[in-house]
Amino acid sequence: MTDAPNTPAPMLLAHEQPLPPRLDLYVAAAFLTLGMAIIGVSLSMPTFYERLQQIYTAPAVVPALHGAIIALLSIWLGVRSLKRGAIGQKIGNVVVVREGYSNMRLAAAALMCLVYAGGLIGRMPFWLATILFVTAFILLFEWRRGLEPRELAKRALIALAVGAGTGVAVVLVFERLFLVRLP
Amino acid sequence: MILNNLSMFGDAFAQFVGTWMIFNIFWAMLLGIVIGALPGLTATMGVALMTTLTFTMPHQQAIMVLICIYVGAIYGGSRSAILLNIPGTPASACSTLDGYPLARQGLAGRAMGISTSGSWLGTLFGTMCVVMFTPVLSEMALTFQSYEFFWIAVFGIVIAGTLSGGDALKGYMAGFLGLWIGTIGQEQYYNYPRFAFGSTDLAGGIGLLPALVGTFGMAEVLMAMRAPAAKAVSSKIDSVIPRIADVTKYWRTILRSGAIGTFIGILPGIGEDVAAWSSYAAAKRASKEKENFGKGSIEGLMAAETGESACVPGAIIPVLTLAVPGSAPAAVLMAAMMIHDINPGPMLMITTPNFFYEIVAMLVIADMTKLFYGFFLVRPLLKILLVPRERLMPIVFVLCVVGAYAITSRVFDIYVMVFFGFLGFVLRELKFPMPPLILGLVLGDLLEANLTRGLVISSGSVAPFFIRPISGVLAAITAFSVVWSIPAAQDWIRASLRRAFRRAPAAG
Repeated sequence: MTDAPNTPAPMLLAHEQPLPPRLDLYVAAAFLTLGMAIIGVSLSMPTFYERLQQIYTAPAVVPALHGAIIALLSIWLGVRSLKRGAIGQKIGNVVVVREGYSNMRLAAAALMCLVYAGGLIGRMPFWLATILFVTAFILLFEWRRGLEPRELAKRALIALAVGAGTGVAVVLVFERLFLVRLP
Repeated sequence: MILNNLSMFGDAFAQFVGTWMIFNIFWAMLLGIVIGALPGLTATMGVALMTTLTFTMPHQQAIMVLICIYVGAIYGGSRSAILLNIPGTPASACSTLDGYPLARQGLAGRAMGISTSGSWLGTLFGTMCVVMFTPVLSEMALTFQSYEFFWIAVFGIVIAGTLSGGDALKGYMAGFLGLWIGTIGQEQYYNYPRFAFGSTDLAGGIGLLPALVGTFGMAEVLMAMRAPAAKAVSSKIDSVIPRIADVTKYWRTILRSGAIGTFIGILPGIGEDVAAWSSYAAAKRASKEKENFGKGSIEGLMAAETGESACVPGAIIPVLTLAVPGSAPAAVLMAAMMIHDINPGPMLMITTPNFFYEIVAMLVIADMTKLFYGFFLVRPLLKILLVPRERLMPIVFVLCVVGAYAITSRVFDIYVMVFFGFLGFVLRELKFPMPPLILGLVLGDLLEANLTRGLVISSGSVAPFFIRPISGVLAAITAFSVVWSIPAAQDWIRASLRRAFRRAPAAG
């Protein structure tokens, strides 16, 4: 995408760029809570010692171990974030602004997915739910304010075609050809 | 013995000769390449979604389709990397460094020829390693007891956390989170529902496939919709036929990258992206033309492509021998094998030896089909690459829903997929690597069964976990990996080694 092919773009993996220490501290707190909760719930489980005369087969042994390790690792993360200046540092100063990323688009996509998976499926035939979801998804993201009516109609038609095509193709390929059950 | 092996290989290849099978191979490879080429769709997602489609097929056909998708997707990623400067999969990010500059110089066809030959040779090299090492490792694994298998599971999580890139500590946390999630539901001794809180659905446990589809499918839909639209920069295409001179000139690079890629594939949870970057770095270090790297180096592109493609068969080796996946797509492949009643692990060579020969045949056939498409599938692919994500992502999500539901027909699995979609997205945003989480989910049963069995056998003594030779070595490597991930400890070890080496000549 760059016009200067002679200089290779730095190819850092997404998780190679560290989070601000303050956020890491919050993450550590959340994981510590989870680890402690796992230990707490594990301790309330029965041991069934009377059945096999064994304590090592008790249902809580392994999850409690995982919970303890998660708690220990989160303490390590917390201490590390404190050493890196988690307290006293303003979080807003260090968050990297990523150009072109949109939380609105994310929220809209997440909401559409939730409505489809939790609301439409099971309340109507799968093919109909799929047509509605795909068409609405495309329309929502391709709609722009001030579009010519002709262009809008064209986009709506494409959305409907892709939606109908997906609904029909998924049913035909999965249910009829490969005998896979659909929701 | 040799004749017997050859006969078994012959039988395995003969199974893939029918018309229906050839049809399946060709569409699966084409789909794999398209999935790999489309930015936002990964090999893991492709294999996970297609596991559902192949659910009712006989196991040979189903695994053949999935291997074609896996091999094709890893190769397909380089198409968009070279032509559009957009890596189709994380594994092909390395190919943009030299692939796109070559395309800018009017050598897109040659770059794709290099990619095709490197990828083809890489997979072939890795497949040869499968033939050579799988029986040996299986034989060795048969001597393992619960103690060794426990450490293999822990080692897998730790090594995936250490090497999957980025923050090792978060890698460990993701791994143990995956292990804990694996304990949800009824346990094996008393069928006690753990962490179910009265829900019969939770008591049934978290399905591996819905979790994988959510983590790699839905999470990627959300990430793609949040990110800015990728701007494609297309290039003119010259001849895509690979040149023999490019292969003969860089045979050392091909062998080195093949070996690195296969080795990284064997390591649990470390995927093709690490294989590509490591092969590229090794090639640059050894090259006489270092200055060309990043500016359109044929050697650099060859190294990256060979490394990532050799990693595919490499990642299948530990699946067949230890039931430990070498990469995220291999984890899904392993789950698919289990769905088809094939039990990966050391007993595989004893209970279903044919399957080993079939896997080798599948890899070779997939590699040959990839070569075929390498010659012909360039221009049509360009049109597919330009499909806007707004039209692609809802279709992907529909497939995620179908993929999550189809195996057990539980609506609950759709909710599990959605939950893991959000979890995967949030964890990625918080810089948690995903391979350890998936490995944790996959290895949870192996770890728990062997830890409890080992403790019961030893009457609660933990000594056998440390004093048995292989257990001891695995425990030491695991501990060293954790210590090595602490920067201060790493500096101290390096300084100590430097001091020791300086003292040694003086003493001599």
